[in-house]
Amino acid sequence: MRQSALILVLGAVLGLCAYCGFYFAGTAPHRARIESQTPELDWLRKEFNLGDAEFERVARLHDAYKSECAAMCQRIDAKNTELKELLAKADTLTPEIENKLAEAGGLRVECQKNMLRHFLEVSRSMPPEEGKRYLTWVKEKTFLPEHRMHEPH
Amino acid sequence: MNGQDPNNEPLSRVLREWRVKASRTPRFQEEVWRRIARSEAGGERVWWKVCWRWIESGVRRPALAVSYVAILMLVGLSAGLVQARKDAARMDEALGARYLQSVDPYQAPRH
Repeated sequence: MRQSALILVLGAVLGLCAYCGFYFAGTAPHRARIESQTPELDWLRKEFNLGDAEFERVARLHDAYKSECAAMCQRIDAKNTELKELLAKADTLTPEIENKLAEAGGLRVECQKNMLRHFLEVSRSMPPEEGKRYLTWVKEKTFLPEHRMHEPH
Repeated sequence: MNGQDPNNEPLSRVLREWRVKASRTPRFQEEVWRRIARSEAGGERVWWKVCWRWIESGVRRPALAVSYVAILMLVGLSAGLVQARKDAARMDEALGARYLQSVDPYQAPRH
């Protein structure tokens, strides 16, 4: 009786160990990436098969663009706040709101131009095939937001 | 012998007229249900015993015991692999989104 119970428990324990072992081994690289200092860049490196030199170039470009991007974020936030205040007060489309919407639109265009410039630079720093793939992916995810409208809710 | 005589008319009359006037105990219905539940639980215990005996006899055979352990290990291994792939894909997707947030001000999280 005891021996049978022992075999049953042993089987369950070994099965559980196999599950945990394979799960942790299978997710170890991803967990390490998430816990790294620059998870998004590490992901980029792996996803687009970048070598050391290519990764270094991409990381440099990313760092330079980051400060530009942060400044743009602040400008967008400020513009959104102004627009929000105007919209809260108005119940008709005033010239002031029109101006603010145009400014917000101009800011978006400026932001998209900066982004595209950065994406092109990054893609050029990658091996040609990977660069092409990167560009297709990033353009679809940033410049073609319409696809979200067709996603099921 | 007189008491066992079927032709004993006075006794037969008394028996014909005899009516049992028994009243139910106060919690009769509850008691009945309790007995039914007890008997069913006993049945389950028997079922488990049969099942356990069957498993025990199987596990005592070395080939079956090894197969049992091997199958559980295979199941664990496959489940771990499938779950790891699923979670790795989810983490990849999250990291991709994080990259986009880091380069697109319109996708960056607002505080």
